[in-house]
Amino acid sequence: MNSAPEQAVSLDQHSALEMPELDVDILGRRNEIIRDLRALVPGEGVISETSEMRVYESDGLTAYRQLPFVVVLPETVEQVSAVLRYCHKTGLKVVPRGAGTSLSGGALPLGDGVLLGLAKFNRILDIDYANRTATVQPGVTNLAITKAVEGRGFYYAPDPSSQIACTIGGNVAENSGGVHCLKYGLTTNNILGLQLVLITGEIINIGGKHLDSDGYDLLGLLTGSEGLLGVITEVTVRILREPETARAMIIGFPSSEDAGACVGSIIGAGIIAGGMEMMDRPAIHAADEFAQAGYPLDVEALLIVELDGPEAEVTDLIGRVEEIADANNASNVQVSQNEPERQKFWAGRKAAFPAIGRISPDYYCMDGTIPRHQLPKVLARMRELSEKYGLGVANVFHAGDGNLHPLIMYDSNVPGELEAAEDFGADILRLCVEVGGVLTGEHGVGVEKRDLMPEMFSETDLDHQQRVKCAFDADGLLNPGKVFPTLHRCAELGRIHIHGGKIPFPDIPRF
Amino acid sequence: MQTRFSIHQLADPDISVANDILRKCVHCGFCTATCPTYVLLGDELDSPRGRIYLIKNMLEDGGAPSPDTVKHVDRCLSCLSCMSTCPASVNYMHLVDYARDHIEETYRRPLSDRLFRAILAKLLPNPRLFRLGMIAGFVAKPFASLLEAIPVTRRLAALARLAPSRLPGRSANEGPGTFPAMGVRRKRVALLSGCAQRVLAPELHDATIRILQRHGVEVVLAKGEGCCGGLPHHLGKTGDSFALAKRNIDAWSHEIDDQGLDAILVNASGCGTTLKDYGFMFREDPVYSVKAARISELAADITEFLNQLGLDDPTIDPDLDVAYHSACSLQHGQQVHEPPRDLLSKAGFRVHEIPEGHLCCGSAGTYNMLQPRLSKALRNRKIGHIEGLDPDVVATGNLGCITQLATGTKIPLVHTIELLDWATGGPKPAKLS
Amino acid sequence: MEKLKPRDEADCLEIVKWAVADKKPLEIVSGGTKRGYGRPVEAAALADVSGLSGISLYEPEELVMTARPGTPLAEIEKTLHANNQELAFEPADYSKIYGKRGGSATLGGILAGNISGPRRIKAGAARDHFLGLRAVSGRGEIFKAGGRVVKNVTGYDLCKILCGSWGTLAILTEVTVKVLPAGQRILTVIVSGLSDSDATNAMAAAMGSSFEVSGAAYIPADVSIKSATDGAIAAIRVEGTGPSVSYRAAGLAEMLKPAGDCRIEKTGDSRAFWRSVRDAEFFTEHRDRPLWRVSVAPMSGPDVVATLRGQADIRAVYDWAGGLVWIEFSSEAGDDAGAGIVRDAVRPHGGHATLVRADDGVRRKTDIFHPQDAALAGVTSRLKDGFDPERILNPGRMYRTV
Repeated sequence: MNSAPEQAVSLDQHSALEMPELDVDILGRRNEIIRDLRALVPGEGVISETSEMRVYESDGLTAYRQLPFVVVLPETVEQVSAVLRYCHKTGLKVVPRGAGTSLSGGALPLGDGVLLGLAKFNRILDIDYANRTATVQPGVTNLAITKAVEGRGFYYAPDPSSQIACTIGGNVAENSGGVHCLKYGLTTNNILGLQLVLITGEIINIGGKHLDSDGYDLLGLLTGSEGLLGVITEVTVRILREPETARAMIIGFPSSEDAGACVGSIIGAGIIAGGMEMMDRPAIHAADEFAQAGYPLDVEALLIVELDGPEAEVTDLIGRVEEIADANNASNVQVSQNEPERQKFWAGRKAAFPAIGRISPDYYCMDGTIPRHQLPKVLARMRELSEKYGLGVANVFHAGDGNLHPLIMYDSNVPGELEAAEDFGADILRLCVEVGGVLTGEHGVGVEKRDLMPEMFSETDLDHQQRVKCAFDADGLLNPGKVFPTLHRCAELGRIHIHGGKIPFPDIPRF
Repeated sequence: MQTRFSIHQLADPDISVANDILRKCVHCGFCTATCPTYVLLGDELDSPRGRIYLIKNMLEDGGAPSPDTVKHVDRCLSCLSCMSTCPASVNYMHLVDYARDHIEETYRRPLSDRLFRAILAKLLPNPRLFRLGMIAGFVAKPFASLLEAIPVTRRLAALARLAPSRLPGRSANEGPGTFPAMGVRRKRVALLSGCAQRVLAPELHDATIRILQRHGVEVVLAKGEGCCGGLPHHLGKTGDSFALAKRNIDAWSHEIDDQGLDAILVNASGCGTTLKDYGFMFREDPVYSVKAARISELAADITEFLNQLGLDDPTIDPDLDVAYHSACSLQHGQQVHEPPRDLLSKAGFRVHEIPEGHLCCGSAGTYNMLQPRLSKALRNRKIGHIEGLDPDVVATGNLGCITQLATGTKIPLVHTIELLDWATGGPKPAKLS
Repeated sequence: MEKLKPRDEADCLEIVKWAVADKKPLEIVSGGTKRGYGRPVEAAALADVSGLSGISLYEPEELVMTARPGTPLAEIEKTLHANNQELAFEPADYSKIYGKRGGSATLGGILAGNISGPRRIKAGAARDHFLGLRAVSGRGEIFKAGGRVVKNVTGYDLCKILCGSWGTLAILTEVTVKVLPAGQRILTVIVSGLSDSDATNAMAAAMGSSFEVSGAAYIPADVSIKSATDGAIAAIRVEGTGPSVSYRAAGLAEMLKPAGDCRIEKTGDSRAFWRSVRDAEFFTEHRDRPLWRVSVAPMSGPDVVATLRGQADIRAVYDWAGGLVWIEFSSEAGDDAGAGIVRDAVRPHGGHATLVRADDGVRRKTDIFHPQDAALAGVTSRLKDGFDPERILNPGRMYRTV
């Protein structure tokens, strides 16, 4: 009835990626485990047929694929708790999954692990306008929160491009950003409470509707922990009142360098725009073709600058930004005249990634952040790399906060192109770190950037992070193979390497 | 997305098209959240991205699919909400149509399924049989529970339940025939008289013909024209559907060559989507490809046409709050958004948007009979949103939606054209009296 | 007790290694302004990190500053001010509630305590502006986390967990924070004569408006305040550029007029008022009285206070639109400084209460930070094990066994 274990674990992933060794004992007990799981999650909640599981073999990063051991789709917190308790007892690995839109392979399944999908948790539980909070289940999409409160003039600020589909649970796990981060923050700055199920099945509540945490800031720690510490079953977010006016400007430039310099001048003038986005020529063309956003097609770089606040302030700021743009060689400026037009300006940007699908069968989306003034250097080096690898690249850039999204275009049906794209991507990220930036601004490390972590962190740095993992999941059952290049045993990490008897620091001042 | 078709497989023009479609998908997942079945079930398998994956594997492997694959493809409403969302422009419609055809060709369904689907495919496109069927259904209505108790006839119970308790009489406007323009003739159009709708709601054609005539449009119900072929097409019965489509193409081509047509109008948006796809359906057919493309180009929804023509000023002040329900075939299949809303506003109605307007009401052709559980869940969700608005009336451009929603609410449901006809000089729709 | 004054990161490392090897618990002090906050630390030695001082990187256009933790806040603010920038979370100086002269707070101390002022409701807390760090953990190892860019999700966000850990996990040796343009103008809308719950409603209305409120506090009539003589006042602050601020203040005054008498206070007076709210200066007179800091959902503030007023003689001030309530007991609060009744009052609302001021004896016996349930306490304790298994960094400051 159930597929044979051999079939179920047939590796389909890219060869360069090493995942934790398969647990042969678990593989041998597949039928028994599936039976046990079915007792915990009835109906269609346990998926074990190969033909069906294949649909779950990857998330938004299709370069990596792996058939899961089994897929479980619980509907209640009690079921999540029971499944995790069972996994803990059985030594079964667990990969949590939201909408499967990760661009870093955060939800890449394991051949010997449960893929735990939370998409059935899609209810909004409470909207509290007086305290300005919404409490929702983790499978509610990012956009659905705003949709639920917009009738009363409120919204949820972080808005990743995939907001139509990505879930709030996934946003918390990855600490998702969006185009309005510079002014309104990332996910971590916009959530107030979480309910979390530990691998032991214990349910803990962190925060609530109040503003600051008691004890260690677990809310901050869990945000962006990529499913390695626990499974989120409820999220309380802060909702904000919509600004009185919001207007977007699109500004074309003859070069990316000019656009970059313009961004620096805007911030230098003390203007924190609601959003500040940059696209280069290929991205402009692909996005405009889908969204008919009215972008100028004869420019090398495009800035979208959104200003929000009271009407008078916005009008004043638009004037100042126009002046700054002129001083930075802008070739044309358009200002949205009404809300539909503003939405239209953004529609192109928000669809920019998948719209690349129109000009290339596959793309590989990178996510480094750099100090903004390094942009010209990074772009120039990227052009060299593009030539070296023979692959095109389109750039979408959260210019306000230095978060760069190069989209490397390749064709997975052409042998060798995926590998070249990966090497190209790794070179770009090394470059980001080299100029003082980081590997990932908002997509998470996942499997994609896992092996690049040592570019940024020493062994000791990573050990300090892994001990956090030990505090939550000492057996390393939750989403292993992600974030850390090697997962050390907690017992090993717990050892202290200092011995007594040394004469203490004769030359440190005492008083 | 990577595909693994052999050169041999790609020689098949259908596979080649499917491959092109699949290669466009970048697996971003944007489509999932706007898919009605995913919203209900929260399972990737019941989402467009999941089905695309299932179809990819099914076609790559060739041969008969697994029962699970069929189950999930069957659950697709073909509402095409995913196509509105997809930034990469994946043509899901052509992919799923082909998948259904492939399933029909290679997969043997259980007996009761086969029986039921065969009945639907034969009955619905044929007005004469359908009328008889409805009478039978009317007779069987009291025995619906009995039918439900027997596995082989269980599905028939759904059909019996859907039969109206009173079947309208034949309309004076049954074709073929020509209805002259009033005053100076501005346009000459054909109207798709279709199949089930003219039996269940002849008043819709009556209203359409009246309003067109008043606006100086001559209306032709072409000889030999009938079901658009959409219903069997969605059941994977490609042979039947192509035969029906050819008959229409012949009938209208004859009219075009004879006195000419400015447009071929449709007041059942589901059929409109199919007409607009004739060009694609017959792209490889040496005899029909050119003719079919011409029909697709002329095909238009009644609201598209009227909006372009310009609606006369209203003759009444209706003073009504209208919740406009955009049929999936209109908003997703044909991407017609503004015309019906603009026309209703211009005719003096206060038009309100229904929350989650992009989600299907669960009607979706024969879906409400084939997938009653999901269909009902979607219906209730939609009705919840409609009743939240507390409108005087719901307007929509597809009879299927009206029939579906009428089973769950007391708020009157009418076709957009009935309101427009009334506001510009026609009779008040019976449901509003 | 041994007192040590490290000059740099290497010294900190040496000290921790020694402390681990010889099992000598350390009390970590920087400006020393908040030593009364938390449980008394029973340490064998004191490490004063105020010597690790100085700004090492400041790029106004990149909105980023890196400094050593002992850098006085005053120095940081002066440097930022020269570029029209600020720490948007409005760090507070609690010196005066402990009877100390203000002005010696350091950046490291602020981050270790996650101390944020009235602007927290708009701009976020200290933790939201903490981008990167270097530190020495209780394992005698130097590690870094985060970075110098505002958008970064590479690895666990250890800045968050160190922020507000009160020196119990590691000694910070370098920190990077996000800085932002400062508002050029302030106006405060004052609504007089409101009850606690009416004031909270008014503040909620202001917060739910599009006027971008950057401070919302309520001072009941029984709390003396130098700048106002008109009984209870609710104060709503707006900041930014000239015309925008005037427009928003006028809009708020118009909106709140039905609630009570409204007036608009000018920049100069406003600054002094908000400084006193930020530093809890209403409670500097009676230093023998227990002082609580209660964090609840904003609308729950008045409920908690009403419950306590029924049981004890208290005075309260509301900040964060009602979400932060300072509660001072009169001297007869009992052996637990009112802990029992305060936490009972908070429990139904799902927030927490911290005892900010009490004498050492009380602080030794009473839970200063909100007690945690078993599952949560387990996580806390295991996190401590991860960073400081020998319990040598500020042991017991937050929880008895941590």
